[in-house]
Amino acid sequence: MDKTFPSPNMPLIETSGLSKQFGSVQALADLNLQVMPGEIYGLLGPNGAGKTTSIKIITGLIEPTSGWVKVAGFDPVKNPIEAKSRIGYVAENPILYESLSPREFLEFVASMRRIDQSMANQRVTQLADAFDMGQYFDSPIATLSMGMKQKVALVASLVHQPPILLLDEPLNGLDAKSSRIAKDLVSLHAKRGGAVLFSTHIMEVAEHVCTRIGIIHKGEVIAEGTLDQLRSKTGGKSGTLEEVLLKLTNEETQVADATRMLGEAIFR
Amino acid sequence: MKLTEAWRLSRIPYREVVYRSLAEEKGRMWWGAFGRGHFDKEGKSDFELTDRVFRIAKFDKLIVAMFCVISSAMPFTSLFYGSTVIGLTSSISLSLSVTFGFTALYAIQTLSSFVSAESSALLFTLPLSKDDFSKITLFSFIRSVDYMVVGAIVSQVILVAYLTMSPLATLLMFVASVMNAVFAVTVALWFSRLFYRNLTRGGRSKSGTVLRLVFIIMWGSLLLGVGLLLSIPWYIVPRLEAALLSFSQLSSLFLIIIYPFSAGIAIANLVYHTAEFSAVLTASVAMIGYVMLSGVAGKWCLETVKRVSQGAGIKASRVANQDFSIRTRNPFFGYVMKDLKISSRNPATAFFFALPVLETLIVSLLTTNYQMLRVSAILVATTTGGVFSLLMPLALLNAEGPGLEYTKTLPVNAKRIMTSKTLISTAAYIPVPLTMLAMSSMKQMTSTLAILIPFLTILAIASASIFEIKLFLGSAGNGKIAAVARDAGKLAVGVMTALIPQIVYAALYLISFDHVTAILGVSGAAITELAIALYLLKHS
Repeated sequence: MDKTFPSPNMPLIETSGLSKQFGSVQALADLNLQVMPGEIYGLLGPNGAGKTTSIKIITGLIEPTSGWVKVAGFDPVKNPIEAKSRIGYVAENPILYESLSPREFLEFVASMRRIDQSMANQRVTQLADAFDMGQYFDSPIATLSMGMKQKVALVASLVHQPPILLLDEPLNGLDAKSSRIAKDLVSLHAKRGGAVLFSTHIMEVAEHVCTRIGIIHKGEVIAEGTLDQLRSKTGGKSGTLEEVLLKLTNEETQVADATRMLGEAIFR
Repeated sequence: MKLTEAWRLSRIPYREVVYRSLAEEKGRMWWGAFGRGHFDKEGKSDFELTDRVFRIAKFDKLIVAMFCVISSAMPFTSLFYGSTVIGLTSSISLSLSVTFGFTALYAIQTLSSFVSAESSALLFTLPLSKDDFSKITLFSFIRSVDYMVVGAIVSQVILVAYLTMSPLATLLMFVASVMNAVFAVTVALWFSRLFYRNLTRGGRSKSGTVLRLVFIIMWGSLLLGVGLLLSIPWYIVPRLEAALLSFSQLSSLFLIIIYPFSAGIAIANLVYHTAEFSAVLTASVAMIGYVMLSGVAGKWCLETVKRVSQGAGIKASRVANQDFSIRTRNPFFGYVMKDLKISSRNPATAFFFALPVLETLIVSLLTTNYQMLRVSAILVATTTGGVFSLLMPLALLNAEGPGLEYTKTLPVNAKRIMTSKTLISTAAYIPVPLTMLAMSSMKQMTSTLAILIPFLTILAIASASIFEIKLFLGSAGNGKIAAVARDAGKLAVGVMTALIPQIVYAALYLISFDHVTAILGVSGAAITELAIALYLLKHS
């Protein structure tokens, strides 16, 4: 790790009473999270539950209405440089500099992060090679597909070997090979003592990758724990994560009703 | 499909083109730039942003169309004080040139999005025939330049009809105006395809980089040409008229054949019959040639538009590469390099790199007419150059586009962003003092100390850039819809900052009649401004 942790027993990501109000909409309400070194914390929930807002607040992209965040012991609002230099971030929709090529974009990111030339070369070469970026490494990002852009964002998030990874739907558009590599990298990162906050809609991924899962619904974490702990909260000992999520968010009945109604309306 | 329905549907790809031109990677240029309020930090203004983009686009089109109409009418004004055949010839020629430049310039702003062929992607999923696609795409293309083309044609035709009272001359003017619009749109479409193709090609090869640079220069040259046509028609007209008076000379023959002078000669001589028959005949033959050429150009445009509508836009090429080495830089220079790259590759901001050339040219033109280099000339030249330079910070901020959101996740503070952009905009001003220095070595000066004014203004330009960028960055994310007037106000702060040292000079000289005192005043003002700017920068 490039950046030292405050303490191995201290959470790398910590939020307390975090809330965010968008006009009349409460996007986040009293979010309390702790992600310890070595953990991959999966943030799951329906669309608009507040996953992206949470990650953006932790990244320092938006400020919370109330509550606080600590990233490796630093407040992203008060100490943005310290906090951001310890974060690797992949956005839900990678917004990059479209007229730059991946090479130029990574040069920019590595320069901003003050990575040593030889170290940056070594890391970029390994990551770009693993993600098969050869065909488009010098093409403008504007011309790349979403999956390709996602790979660029992933490499940019890993190039400085940060202790914390904030990944918002990082597997969007990735092919099977790259998706597998990304998941393996996330696991390796955690094994080496890093912390990962992982948001995804793919339940199978969360089930296999995350060591702990938080279910967020209407801006609140309504359940948290390992898959078994979540299952027990729904009163069962089996069931997929998808079933558990739907039960916890009270959407199981809604899904059944919608399917029945659509079946009657469309496939008559 | 009925034409009216195709026209109605063409609004969809047209709006997409407009959105891409103004709101996405093409940045926000021209008037659109002034209306930019940034992305709302609360993420709730997507609809507001889209709405604003279309309002800006409409406003943009109207303003440019008005400007185009006024500029196309301007060369005719001298005729109201005494019409001559030479006057009418040069007026028609200049009017056509200005309209050509404006139409091409405006079309280029939007057409590079059009040629990417993605604007019609939404329609591909609908059950429409290829012919219907072509119609819709053609109409969406026409929508990009409709106001200004129609405005220019109408104004030119009405003016010629009023001035000549000849139906034949009016008809010929109509033909020339339409032909002019076809040429302008063809050039714009060709440029856009070329720029987009070159942009999407990417690659690390030196030839690719040189090509991109050439295209930027071409882009800048086109704008520079328009600038020259607008700023110095009164330099061109007398020379043109002198050349046209002596038809026997080789240079005059050249003018007769060259468009748009051939059109001017042919139309004017329909009424006045004062030129030599051979000259009129040559111009008329050339005119027929140009009409035929415009037919070919129009056909090429239609085919290109058709190809675009059928999904044959320019596709990006890929080059296999196993060399993944990157070059890291000091964060400050890394940011400067990034700024230079993104702004030079954005068609809407690339021409700002032609500013130093434009500034130098204007400064030279302003001073060449004087036997002696007066302090007043230095002050005017410095102000002109300064004002041009102060458009640079805005262009650099615009070029950031949505990518700024990624930068916000990096350990970069506002100070670095401001310093980088300040350095570039200050560097853009440097040709002004250097040109003045060159001029001072060739001419006598009323005060040799006055040459220090443009150099001391470097400090004022740096301060003005810092104030401007701070004001624009400060407005980011406040969720308000920035109005044209408000953003223009921010630019005005920059301009005022750059002007203060010169005002101080003028005031002190008028009081003391002593150049030394006045220069000391300029130094004091510039240094004070810089101190305030640096203090603000430090606390950003």
